[in-house]
Amino acid sequence: MATSTTFSVEVLTPEGEVFSGDVLQLSTRTVIGEIGVLANHVPVLAALKPNLLRLKVSDSETKVYAQSHGMMQIFANHAQLLLEEAVPPSELDASAIEAEQAEAQAKLDGPEIGDAARKLAQRDLERTSAFLALARGE
Amino acid sequence: MANRKEVTNQISSVKNIRQITRAMEAVAAARLRKAENRIAQLRPYAQSMRQLTRRAAAQAGSFSHLPILNERENVETLGVLLVTGDRGLAGAFNANIIKEGLNLRDQALDEGKKVIFFVVGRRGDGALTFRKQNVSGSWTGFTDRPAFTNARDIGEDLVAAYIDGHVDRVEVVYNRYVSPLTQYVQNLTLLPVQQAEVVGEGAEDEAAAELEGDLAKAHARASWEYEPDPEDLLAQLIPEYVNISLYRNLLESAASELGARMTAMRSAADNAETMIDDLTLEMNRVRQAEITQEILEVVGGAEALG
Repeated sequence: MATSTTFSVEVLTPEGEVFSGDVLQLSTRTVIGEIGVLANHVPVLAALKPNLLRLKVSDSETKVYAQSHGMMQIFANHAQLLLEEAVPPSELDASAIEAEQAEAQAKLDGPEIGDAARKLAQRDLERTSAFLALARGE
Repeated sequence: MANRKEVTNQISSVKNIRQITRAMEAVAAARLRKAENRIAQLRPYAQSMRQLTRRAAAQAGSFSHLPILNERENVETLGVLLVTGDRGLAGAFNANIIKEGLNLRDQALDEGKKVIFFVVGRRGDGALTFRKQNVSGSWTGFTDRPAFTNARDIGEDLVAAYIDGHVDRVEVVYNRYVSPLTQYVQNLTLLPVQQAEVVGEGAEDEAAAELEGDLAKAHARASWEYEPDPEDLLAQLIPEYVNISLYRNLLESAASELGARMTAMRSAADNAETMIDDLTLEMNRVRQAEITQEILEVVGGAEALG
């Protein structure tokens, strides 16, 4: 089999490109569950959940990012990840995230919350919980 | 005629003003470059998101069931989002937005609608609170350096307000950035999202579309895995579109604010310069008058003695 073992990955956020290069393996989480991607993956269009994004650049080096909600498209041995946020876990500020989480919780607990507002507050809660776990190194 | 001491004091205070305004101009110019950069950095993300949305839309077939795309026939309540700055000293930057916002309100009231304000920036917040307007959401503290998370916070609240029926339409009023010297007040409909805008071809996509060509055909032939199915994907992509366009508005407003401040500070410094020239002339005149006076006194004294 003359297929390549690496594939190109591009991680974009609204604030700029976070990563671009060839990797051996990519691991992340979609709405369905954990996913590991190797070279020559079938085409995928997936919604991503807040999680740790791992990019295995070589056998000895793995880059990690805290990923928020986003989208992933894999096509022609190229993975493109569009993430609202992607930061190294070491740069997360636990106290700021806690404040954000409290705010989302307060919205959920508030009186007369609409359906759409509840869904969005839950989304915030999901993100802040995942980020908080990463910030605390869990 | 003023005395010499007064004029000297005045000159030194105007010199201070010149120095401060020059410094503010330099700071605004440096930040403006960064703000322009951030606008450029959003482009690849926004473009990719648009392509992705179009693909998901093509798969999903019908998507008019999404509430965020549905135009309401009876607009009872109009939401107006004013994007102002946290600080002043930027010419008419903030005043123009507030004026346009109040115009929109008057127009809507004439048509028998209710109006709810949402505000970004301390200046707008203060102005509307002072005028006792109904402000149901305000976000401050980031206007010269907005992050995407700020846009997301705002977007989530507005989308929720729209879908839950608190507002039937949301307009954004912001300063559109053209160049450091030119900004103008722009008024856009944020919600409902225009279907054509999301899935139609945008002008900025043309280059990208050309590049793709063959790849796009291969794209269409490939059998894709969707997680979740295209309809649900779309339901998640479209609110994202709102956040992106809000983020762009915030970035443009930040660039406009810095541009306006730069221009305002430059003309303030130039005015200070002219004032210093005038005052120096004035001071010379005063000094000359004093000397003449002294000579007259000396001559008068000598004559009296002689």
